[in-house]
Amino acid sequence: MIQTILALMKKELYQVIRDRNMLRLIFVMPIIQLLVLGYAINTDVKKIDTAVYDFDRSSLSREYIKAKTAGDYFIVSSENPPVLDAERGFKENLYTAALIIPNDFSENFIEKKPVNVGLLIDGSNANSASITSGYAEMIAMQFNRRQLDIPEPIVMRQQMLYNPESESIYFMVPGIVAVLITMITAMLSSMAIVREREIGTLEQLMVTPITVPALIIGKTIPFAILGFLEMSIALLFGVLWFGIPFVGSWSLLYGLTFIFLFTTLGVGLFISTVTKTQQQAMFYAWFFSIFAILTSGFFSPIANMPEAVQYITYLNPLRYYMIIVRGIMMKGASIDALYPEIIAMIIFGVLIFTSSWLRYSKRVS
Amino acid sequence: MNLVQISNLDKSYGQLKAVSNFTLSADQGELLAVAGPDGAGKTTIFRTVCGLLEYDNGTINLAGFDIDKDFDKIKPLLGYMPQNFSLYPDLSVEENLYFYAGLFGMKKNEYQQKRERLYQFSGLGLFAKRRAGKLSGGMKQKLALSCNLIHDPKILILDEPTTGVDPVSRRQLWDILKTLKQDGSTIIVSTPYMDEVALADRAIFVHNGKKLIEGKPNELLSHFNSAIYKIKAVPSSGIMDQLNQIEGITSRRFGSSIHLYTRPQQNMEVYYNRLSQLGISAESISPIKPELEDLFIQLMEQSDA
Repeated sequence: MIQTILALMKKELYQVIRDRNMLRLIFVMPIIQLLVLGYAINTDVKKIDTAVYDFDRSSLSREYIKAKTAGDYFIVSSENPPVLDAERGFKENLYTAALIIPNDFSENFIEKKPVNVGLLIDGSNANSASITSGYAEMIAMQFNRRQLDIPEPIVMRQQMLYNPESESIYFMVPGIVAVLITMITAMLSSMAIVREREIGTLEQLMVTPITVPALIIGKTIPFAILGFLEMSIALLFGVLWFGIPFVGSWSLLYGLTFIFLFTTLGVGLFISTVTKTQQQAMFYAWFFSIFAILTSGFFSPIANMPEAVQYITYLNPLRYYMIIVRGIMMKGASIDALYPEIIAMIIFGVLIFTSSWLRYSKRVS
Repeated sequence: MNLVQISNLDKSYGQLKAVSNFTLSADQGELLAVAGPDGAGKTTIFRTVCGLLEYDNGTINLAGFDIDKDFDKIKPLLGYMPQNFSLYPDLSVEENLYFYAGLFGMKKNEYQQKRERLYQFSGLGLFAKRRAGKLSGGMKQKLALSCNLIHDPKILILDEPTTGVDPVSRRQLWDILKTLKQDGSTIIVSTPYMDEVALADRAIFVHNGKKLIEGKPNELLSHFNSAIYKIKAVPSSGIMDQLNQIEGITSRRFGSSIHLYTRPQQNMEVYYNRLSQLGISAESISPIKPELEDLFIQLMEQSDA
């Protein structure tokens, strides 16, 4: 049995190594994905292009503008653009915020009358719009206090744990690692058995003494190895290139990844029992990957999803693994903090493997 | 010893009866040919015998084991070569062989000895590093056969191994089969080519999933119960219709000549008059020896009638 499995594994790895496209996919894809996604998916909102309408033109209004742009948050990209055409700048993406200081700004301030300052924000990106408004409010409050010289009654001292500079890349790279190994292992394993069926070798295999468990094990372990390879490339690249901190235990991450790989390989295997061609298998695996990624909390937190969708995410093994990768890498989470996730992944893995085994045995006879 | 015993096999795909009441037996060291045109049911029979298809009725017994009960015991004794090339095109000749050796749990040195023997008779040693997908048709079949011989199977089932293979390689494949048979293997091979039937020890003709006849190739022809005459010079193109109106003879065109089949023990001379009316002179008619193909066609027509 062990010898048959070894023969099958060796053959499987040979086949992958022979295929130049496959090699490119395995080695180049993680780096490109990390580079592009690592830089592109940036939820930090900084350097907000701002149009400034200063109708007051006083020293106070200039000071106000200076306070707004003092941090790295707002930068003045247009000064006093045509008033009647303010919206055009939003449409042409010249700026995403417009600050309007009325001509009675300093006058009212000195007379201690209410002062109105306008801020228009491009709401087409809801996420960055709310962050922009938060920044503006915070800066306005600080300015008020400074001008009126009143001490703050309650001081809140915030400290951001695990990611003090709030770098979104620290958060994204572990996520990308999880996404990468999901895609590569689900797709490779879904095509593995279907390909044998397509070229007719499966029939030939069924006449040899190989058993169904041996076939399944020999077919999945090579892809688990490739999954680990893929993860290692991505992790090393993330740590060395992006300087992502890795706080937790490497061995714990690899150990739990092994459990996770059984869920994605199991899904791939299951797909290969319900499809007839590699093309069909590819589409199914693609569908699974997209579903898994979107409901994993990779892009947006699961807590923000509608309640019904939140329940659906429990069916997604990537959801658990996402917590594990980020937890271990960023927070240094230990095994006892991750119990629920580990158990959920084991249940998923056992179920999907058993059902593909049953389906598979049924198909053969 | 009876190594293969198939009795009263029935197999249908839905409404279509693919195999009906088919019986076959093969002794140890026997080379048995199953002949028939495409769609005769040869592949269905073979796939069923190799446990790849379920069947409706009958029994299949290989090397003394019932396929339903002891298929796992049969597997190490069986070699099955499907009709379509089914090896890994992206692996080399050597890697394909090594993989099959692994599947049958062979030791490395045992495998190396076996490999050299297989290279010797197949001539594949020269191409050991070549990818299987890049081999010629004949070489591919030799590799597929070699992979199925790696574990010294007692029973070899080969589904049309010579289809689409050049004449020289066909000859070589049959030579290999003869050697294997002399070494004691039981070989069942299907073929659409009647000339190959003569190379087997025994042959079974199959048509529409039914056995037409069974026997030694040189004895089969005694079942042919008519005489064949050949007309060399064919006068006009409409002649076939006119020939077919003559009671008692069947005519069939073979390229530029026509074969006439008479009823058993009947003399051709009774028809000379009619034929000369059609412009066919007695000199252009000569008797020819029937071949297996003629027998097959005759049996096929009788079974269809």
